[in-house]
Amino acid sequence: MFGLIEKDLRLTFARKQTLLIFFIMALVMGISMDGSFIVGYLTMLAAVISIGTISYDEYDNGFAFLMTLPFGRKTYVREKYLFCLIMSTAAWCIGAVLYFIGNTVRRSGVNMVEELPMLIALIPVMYLSSALMIPIQLKYGSEKSRIALFILFGCIAVLIFGAKTFFSSMENPITELIQTIENLSPTVILLTVITVCALASGVSYMLSIRIMGKKEF
Amino acid sequence: MVKVDKLVKNYGDFRLDISMEIPDGTVTGIAGKNGAGKSTTIKAILGLIKPDEGHVTINGKEASMLTGKEKESIGAALSDSGFSSYLRIEDVICILRKMYPTFDEDFFRKNCVLQRLAFDKRIKDFSTGMRAKLRVLAAISHKSELLIMDEPTAGLDVEARNEILDMFRQYLLDNEKRSILLSSHISSDLEGLCDDIYLIHDGKIVLHEDTDTILSNYAVLKIDDDTYEKLDKSYILGTKKEHFGYACFTSEKQFYAENYQGIVIEKGNIDDLILMMTGGR
Repeated sequence: MFGLIEKDLRLTFARKQTLLIFFIMALVMGISMDGSFIVGYLTMLAAVISIGTISYDEYDNGFAFLMTLPFGRKTYVREKYLFCLIMSTAAWCIGAVLYFIGNTVRRSGVNMVEELPMLIALIPVMYLSSALMIPIQLKYGSEKSRIALFILFGCIAVLIFGAKTFFSSMENPITELIQTIENLSPTVILLTVITVCALASGVSYMLSIRIMGKKEF
Repeated sequence: MVKVDKLVKNYGDFRLDISMEIPDGTVTGIAGKNGAGKSTTIKAILGLIKPDEGHVTINGKEASMLTGKEKESIGAALSDSGFSSYLRIEDVICILRKMYPTFDEDFFRKNCVLQRLAFDKRIKDFSTGMRAKLRVLAAISHKSELLIMDEPTAGLDVEARNEILDMFRQYLLDNEKRSILLSSHISSDLEGLCDDIYLIHDGKIVLHEDTDTILSNYAVLKIDDDTYEKLDKSYILGTKKEHFGYACFTSEKQFYAENYQGIVIEKGNIDDLILMMTGGR
């Protein structure tokens, strides 16, 4: 497991220039834009970069050799989920520090403590999006998974649009739900988000284990 | 001990159907033409593909069910796969150190220097020979008991090939219980290293023999049409029509030397074996 994390870290930092450009972009956007954009942006970026290590593993038929190393297929999958979590959390911390510094410099008067639960909620949400991408990437490979993701997000967009149209034409039960959520304390919302994301990530993990178990190299 | 028991794997029209054993302390070669099924056999032994029928066991355990700990005693090098080409040797050292508790970093570094492998260069900038050497070095540097090598010398010049074969010899000298399974279509590699050889053709084992026996007892008989008609063909394994008559491959050189005076007998080698057993009539 540690060997795999080491490999992924080294593969990630092999792209120092790309990472630096992303970081500078995040800094510029963070400075020029108010709000917690930088935190979400960096967390999402880290998640996407983590998923990218699967493409590196796959590149040049690398999977075949990788699977001769001393770990099982389950360990490989487990490491990918863990690596995404480590990277997302680390990026979130950097983003939060930059956000804090930005607020202090601008004297915007934002209460960081009050905002913290919502900022923390970004980690499970961003992590979930990467967790959903892992089984797709493992199943279809880096090339085909782009098409699969495009179709998936297309379906989600259609569903959202459809639901919006459907609910706007009738008495809207969503408004009531949103009001109920708004009345909840931020901590309860955070715990709910974490629980939902953990459950969905768990399903994604089980799916990835199944896909990897069936794979031939 | 590696045991391949009635392994069957189908890929469209191609069907691999083999049984073989690699006892501890032996060097076993798999010879055969391209597409014969050598790599598929190696992949099945490494648990990279699942057999449609049969079993592959390593020390009594199904190959695909080996734990990480059990895989530590196996070193593998594949002809078309290795560490990500974006990594450098320094990265590989750090990864191997974490992967294998028995990783011998001094040995690895020393041999990288000997083989002129640059530590700070990305693998993608390495030549074919350098990549092959790195793959072999990574496989032998953690004191594994079994090496599984798929075409480790393919595409290399004589010097690079000899350097790799020397690495294998040194690996075997360090511990006599070590085993190597090696696939190659380069006969000299197999002749100089293997105790026994399996010849695979069209997914089937057509011959299994000790290398010494092949080199001492096997031969190519070059005979004219008349002699061929009268020849006792009991020990003829393969025949090929030639412009002078027939080239016959035999496993009993002595029999024909004693009973057929004047026929041309050429010492057999693995290239002849492959050609005559798979291409002849």
